[in-house]
Amino acid sequence: MSNTAVGPVYETIINEVINSVRVDFEENGVDDGVLEDLKKKWQIKLSQMNVAQFPWDPRPEPAPTQAAPAQAAAAQAAQATPAPVANHTTSTFSPQASAQPLQGLHANGMGIKNEPHPARADPVIKQEPGLGNPGPQMPQQYANPPRVITAAERAAQAIHSKFGDRAAASIDAIQMTHQQQQQQQQQQQPQLQAQQFQQHPQHQQHQQHQQQRAVQHQQQVPQQQYQQHPHVQQQMQRPGQLPPQLVAQQYRQGLANNIQQRMQQLPHGQPPNGLPAAQVDGAADDVYEGVLMQRGPDGQPVEMGRVEIDELIHSQMAARAKQMEGGGLMLPLKEATKHRGVSSRKNKANGTGAAQFDGLDDDDDDLKDEDLDEDAINSDLDDPNDDKDDDDDDDDAMGHMMLCTYDKVQRVKNKWKCTLKDGVLTVNGREYVFHKATGEYEW
Amino acid sequence: MAANTQYYDLYRHGSLGTALTDALDDLIGDERIDPQLAMKVLTQYDRVMAETLQEKVKARLTFKGSLDTYRFCDEVWTFLIRNVTLKLDNNSQQVVADKVKIVSCSAKRSDDSSK
Repeated sequence: MSNTAVGPVYETIINEVINSVRVDFEENGVDDGVLEDLKKKWQIKLSQMNVAQFPWDPRPEPAPTQAAPAQAAAAQAAQATPAPVANHTTSTFSPQASAQPLQGLHANGMGIKNEPHPARADPVIKQEPGLGNPGPQMPQQYANPPRVITAAERAAQAIHSKFGDRAAASIDAIQMTHQQQQQQQQQQQPQLQAQQFQQHPQHQQHQQHQQQRAVQHQQQVPQQQYQQHPHVQQQMQRPGQLPPQLVAQQYRQGLANNIQQRMQQLPHGQPPNGLPAAQVDGAADDVYEGVLMQRGPDGQPVEMGRVEIDELIHSQMAARAKQMEGGGLMLPLKEATKHRGVSSRKNKANGTGAAQFDGLDDDDDDLKDEDLDEDAINSDLDDPNDDKDDDDDDDDAMGHMMLCTYDKVQRVKNKWKCTLKDGVLTVNGREYVFHKATGEYEW
Repeated sequence: MAANTQYYDLYRHGSLGTALTDALDDLIGDERIDPQLAMKVLTQYDRVMAETLQEKVKARLTFKGSLDTYRFCDEVWTFLIRNVTLKLDNNSQQVVADKVKIVSCSAKRSDDSSK
C-alpha cells in the first residue's frame, strides 16, 4: 500500500465508472458533454481534497480553474464593495445635507417645527391674532441699522432691475400698507423685497398705520396657519408666481446677504411672518418660521433648499428610527410579531403581566420551553446531549477513516485481531488503498 | 441477477465517493441530469470501486493500536482505534494517527452477493 498508488488507481476507477455509465447517459438522452463535465468535476473535487497526487493534477485545468474564478470574484467584490458604499452615502446624504445641516440645526436650536425656540416664535405667532402692535414691536427690537439697509437696498435694486414694473407696483402697494403684511409678501415676492427696502421709514410710521395693520392681521391669520404647514401648500396656492420668484432667488443668492437669504426663503413658501426687522437684523442663525439655514463652506449661512431640507428631515427620521431600534420598537415585522407572540403566550401561562416582558427569566424555564417548542426549529436535534454521544465516533470521520471489508474478526479477552480487505484509508490528509490489512489491538 | 449488482455503498463515504457525489449534485442542481441517472452512476461506482480494490490493488497494511470502541451491527464492524501505528509493507513507511475509525462490511457477504 502506498499513497502514490492512489492516483492511478483512482483514475482507473473514474475512467471505468465514466465508461460504464456512458450507456446510461445515452439512454437518458443526456449529452456526452455532460458526462465529460461530470468527469472533470469529479477530478477537480478530488484534487481539492488534496489527499493524493493525481495523474490529472499536473494538467493546468484543475487548480487554475478553481483558483482563477475565486480570485476574480474576490477582486470584483473588492472593487464593487467600495463603490456601492460611496453611492449609498452620497445618495442618502447629499453633500449639503450631510453633517453641516445637522450641526446647523442643533446650533440654531431649531427643530423642524420650531419647537426649540418657542420664545422667538411666540411673538411672531401672537402678532396675528392679537391685532395689536406686535408689528411695530418687532422692528424696534431688531431695528438695525445701516448695514442691513444697504443690503436691503441692494436687493431691492436687484429686484427692481429684474422686475422693474412689478417691483414698482409692489413698492407702491407696500408704501400704502406698510411692511407688516409679510404674509402678503409671501404671495408676491416683489412686494416683500420692496417692503424690506422701506423698513426704515416704516418704523417711524408704524404707529400711524396700526389700524391698517389690524385689518391686514385678520387677513394674515389663515396665511399663518399655512406657515406651519409644509411650504408645498403655499406653493400650490400661488403656482403662477413661483417661476419669477425662483429666478429672483437665484440672482440674489450671489449677493450672499442675510436679507437675500430671507428672500430666498420666501419661495419655499415660508413666510417671514411679519417680522421685517428680524430679517434685516442679520441674525442669520435666528430661527425663522420653518426655514433652515446652513453654514456654507465660507462660513456664511446659506439657506437650505426644499430638497435639502427634505433630506435633512429624512436623515433625522432615520436617526431616530435607529435610536428606537435599540428599544426593539422598529424590529422587522417578523421578529416583532414573533416576540409578541411568545411574550403574550407566556402571559397566559403565568397569568402575570408585565413581569414577563423583562426578559427570559430562568424561573419560567418550564413554561417557556413548552411555549417555545412550537416555534423552535429542530429543537430536538439541537439537544446537546445527542451531540456528545456521537462525538467520539463521528466528529472526524472524514479525517481518519478506513473503509473496507473484513475477512475475520477475532477476539481473545481484550485482544483483537482482524483481517481486512479491499480498503480505502484516509489518514493525516493522505489517502491509501490496500488489498489486505491485518490489525491487532487491545481494548 | 439483482444480487450480481449488489455492492456495498460504503465507499461512497470515502474521498473518491464524496467527490463523485458532489459532482453529481452539481449537475443535478443545474438540471443537466436527473437524480435517477445519478443513482446509476453511484451504483456503477460501487461496483467499480470494489472490483478495482480487489483486482488491481496489491498493497498490504498492518496496523496496531488500542481499541477504543467496537461495534457490530447488521454485519458491519465499526472500530474506533486510538494511537494507531500503520505500516505500509511496500516501502516500510510508517504512519501514526491518534485516531482511526474503521467501518468494515463483511467480505464474505460481498463475495456471495457478487457471485
